[in-house]
Amino acid sequence: MSNLEDDLRIALRREEPSADFTERVLARLNQPAPAEPTWLERLGVLMRPPRLQWVAVAVIVSVVIPVATVQYRGERAKEQLLFAVRVTGTKLHQAQRKVVETGRMGTRL
Amino acid sequence: MTASSVGGLAVRVQEESQRAVQVALPAFADIVREHQGMVFSLAWHYLHDRALAEEMAQEVFLELYRHIGSIQSPEHLLYWLRKVASRKCIDQTRRRAFWPKFGLDDIPEPPAKMRQADPMLSGTLAKLVASLPEKARMLVILRYQEDLDPSDIARVLDMPVGTVKSHLQRALGVLREKLVRSVGEIAL
Repeated sequence: MSNLEDDLRIALRREEPSADFTERVLARLNQPAPAEPTWLERLGVLMRPPRLQWVAVAVIVSVVIPVATVQYRGERAKEQLLFAVRVTGTKLHQAQRKVVETGRMGTRL
Repeated sequence: MTASSVGGLAVRVQEESQRAVQVALPAFADIVREHQGMVFSLAWHYLHDRALAEEMAQEVFLELYRHIGSIQSPEHLLYWLRKVASRKCIDQTRRRAFWPKFGLDDIPEPPAKMRQADPMLSGTLAKLVASLPEKARMLVILRYQEDLDPSDIARVLDMPVGTVKSHLQRALGVLREKLVRSVGEIAL
């Protein structure tokens, strides 16, 4: 066994707590248990400064992100629709021109 | 303390009224007196804060009082106390992000000639143990304070025995290295 292990046993030997430790444990046993907070009290705790910041962040994250996502998707859908309309318009225009050209050639012959 | 005394206390606490619980308190006080050194030392070596360690040890005994009915024997009581004390210590460090920051500068220079059981070496080692990561720290404390085998430590901490052994080896390596850096080869 190494010296380090012996030294650790010495360094980590048991120590006693303060002399009145047992009495303090027994005193705490005799104290009435704190009453369970109502849901209103729990809500009140959430509305106090350090936690209020986190509540605000949670609300912002849970509202703003879904709204922004929906808005972004709407914009993308609108752009795609406009693009599709433009492509369709161009194609129709080309088809119309072909029809007119074909009609003129038929007239000449 | 015998198994029957623990069981008898459990029956009294479980079955009788508030007035009877008052009668059981002396027996519970005996249990506290018998094991307070073990529970307090686990917390003290782990947290390295005397007030916090006493508070933690008190909470362990308050929890024991609430669960005394589930204790089956003195051996089970020891196992239960070690398990709950270990869990509370680890939870405490996670909850409060408590981490004793002992740099090498905080550790006093030892005298030139080191002897075994030197209080300064013991203090240095205790601080180095307190600077280990959560699980490794508790493993080392259970191994060298409580003199538990790796299989017993595995039971207390709900870890595989192989993991306990490898963590212990690694922790000893780290401690050896830090000790050499802080006090020099002469200490080893």
